[in-house]
Amino acid sequence: MKVFRKTLVLFLCTLFVLSFVGTVAAQKVTLTWPCIWVGVDSKAETIKKFVDEFNREYAGEIEVIIEENSDYQAYRDKLRTAISVGRVPDIFTIDADIPLYLESGRLLDLTDAFKDGWEADFVEGALANSTVNGRIVAIPYEMGPTPVMYNKRLLQEAGWDHFPATFDELWQCAEDLKAAGIIAFSQMTGENAWTSMLWYSQLVVAIGGPDVYDNPNHPAFVEAARVLKKMYDYTTIDAVGAGAAVSGGHFLAERTAIFMNGPWYIGRLEREGSNNMYEHVAIAPCPVYEGGAGSQGGYIGNPQALLAAGATDDEAKAAAAIKFLKYITDPDRVAELSAASGALFYVKSGELEFEMERLQAEMVEQVNQAPYIVGHFEYMSPARVYNEFPMALSGLVLGELTPEEFVEQLNAKR
Amino acid sequence: MNVKREDRVGIAVFLTPVLVLFTLFFIFPIIYLIIVSFVEWSGLDTPAFVGFQNYLRIFNDKVFIRSISNNLIWALCAGFIQVPLAVLAALMLSYRPRGWKIFRTVYFFPKVISAIALATLWSAVYNAQYGLLNGLLRVIGLGHLQTNWLGTLKTAFPSVLIYWLFYIGYYMIIVLADIQGIPQDYYEAAEIDGAGRIRQSLNITLPLAKTSIVTCILLAMIDGLRQFAEVYILTNGGPANRTSVMVLYLYKEMQNYSYGTSSAAAVVLIAIGTVVILTIKNTLGRENL
Repeated sequence: MKVFRKTLVLFLCTLFVLSFVGTVAAQKVTLTWPCIWVGVDSKAETIKKFVDEFNREYAGEIEVIIEENSDYQAYRDKLRTAISVGRVPDIFTIDADIPLYLESGRLLDLTDAFKDGWEADFVEGALANSTVNGRIVAIPYEMGPTPVMYNKRLLQEAGWDHFPATFDELWQCAEDLKAAGIIAFSQMTGENAWTSMLWYSQLVVAIGGPDVYDNPNHPAFVEAARVLKKMYDYTTIDAVGAGAAVSGGHFLAERTAIFMNGPWYIGRLEREGSNNMYEHVAIAPCPVYEGGAGSQGGYIGNPQALLAAGATDDEAKAAAAIKFLKYITDPDRVAELSAASGALFYVKSGELEFEMERLQAEMVEQVNQAPYIVGHFEYMSPARVYNEFPMALSGLVLGELTPEEFVEQLNAKR
Repeated sequence: MNVKREDRVGIAVFLTPVLVLFTLFFIFPIIYLIIVSFVEWSGLDTPAFVGFQNYLRIFNDKVFIRSISNNLIWALCAGFIQVPLAVLAALMLSYRPRGWKIFRTVYFFPKVISAIALATLWSAVYNAQYGLLNGLLRVIGLGHLQTNWLGTLKTAFPSVLIYWLFYIGYYMIIVLADIQGIPQDYYEAAEIDGAGRIRQSLNITLPLAKTSIVTCILLAMIDGLRQFAEVYILTNGGPANRTSVMVLYLYKEMQNYSYGTSSAAAVVLIAIGTVVILTIKNTLGRENL
């Protein structure tokens, strides 16, 4: 009998403990975040720090779990597939095909969360990028201006103490660099042809003006193709088929003098540039195209990443997601992230005294002075068009397509 | 053959899990694929029935037609270049020369490595700026032959295809196992009759190993039709879609938020694969499979 009683008490105690644990576990909300800011990304370390701090602050209540995704295209494929089967991630970023996602109805409506003054943390007009039919369904987070980045030391070796202000000067600069045994441009037709796509975007606006995308048949698209093809006469021999690692690698290794990318690359210039090349890097807006409708100082840029939460009927999960989004968009934290990574954000700078990095400060100054900021070609075009861009570009560069046929091939995908 | 009732129950019990898995992971996806091929669907919106529009779209797309031809070339090269090379290697190893076990392991080893890792390795070999191939050409005095192997219209597809053809280990092992199962009596009798090694190989080994050889041809051709990883890593279908293959094409259609078109391409791929299998089966003899 004694044994029976002891066993019964032990059993009841175990049951009690398990139910308590179950209750605690049931109260804790877990948010999964398939995150692309991992690995060598300049934001990775700081983002992880924020997530760890958030988890400590909300221990037992909310836990954010990062699922690492280091490849942008693989991440987009995963996100698209997950949403198409109805499994929208709890927290995620959108960096491509933004209108499609905003209008999908799969994103958590954040409108009510902004009623407490959260909007004041963002630069004016930013929330328009993520508002659909009057409802705010995502948060514009990272800003993506993409100026020219150039190596002053290499330009000086070719006799240039300033970056060319016009395209006539740019061709002369390229010739002088060639004579000095230096390759002028980093270009690429592999993957999404990112670097070349950015040059094409600059050219289209420099030639056609800031409203060029209102007309997909604008002659600027053909002329820009002609100019981009000429740029390939001054690039590396592996540019056709090269991916971002090769294109950026040439610039980091000082094999090329001129590159194009965004503020997120500043961290990599510092960490991975050879021979202290970071000290010699400067940025500039695209040169003026003689006779073009673009203006001096015009910039290419767009929302580089929006933060979003998956729509859910679980009120606790929705509340937790909003709590995390507010945490990660806190101005002080964003200032810290900006200082650590070089990236720029739609959130206003906070009170913490982080010295803005040199190139970042130059970029902010140029962006503030820019007569316009136009989205790049990938942002301004449907998925079928920008996915065709690398193939059409390789055809253009290899002489299989004329500039007119290049534009035709892209427009055929609209 | 009369099957007892209790045996029927046993057979059903053992077959049911396989049938369930086969239906779940093979039959059902194919049916779903066929259904989706008749709709327009971005994955983010509601599917809309469009009939045969997706099929018309892909057959009017030059890139898809090129993809089919690239895959057929790949399949033919796999079946009639890669497999014969594997058979030749298996024949040589069947004579057990010195170090034959090492060679067997070396030939098979790439099969153990991920295709993605191999493709990444070869992308470095083919790199125009610092690749091993161009470096080797410079060293042996053939520097004038250097080129951007993966970025030139004429060399891109051969470059992607050729390196892959030399990975013969998998088929070599299959054929070698079959050869090693041939009774030695045949060879002894042939030797007594004065037949040399080549005559023995042609008249004894190859005919008796025909089943495994035909099986390898079939597997290799199917593998040629399913190519994706190598092309994706090395060229992503470029330059100018010259190296595009069907699986890559349908993958890109998914990236374009065109699940209907993607599914239509997949259905065509399945149809082509079925035709290839039936053709080989009927051409090389039913008794061999």
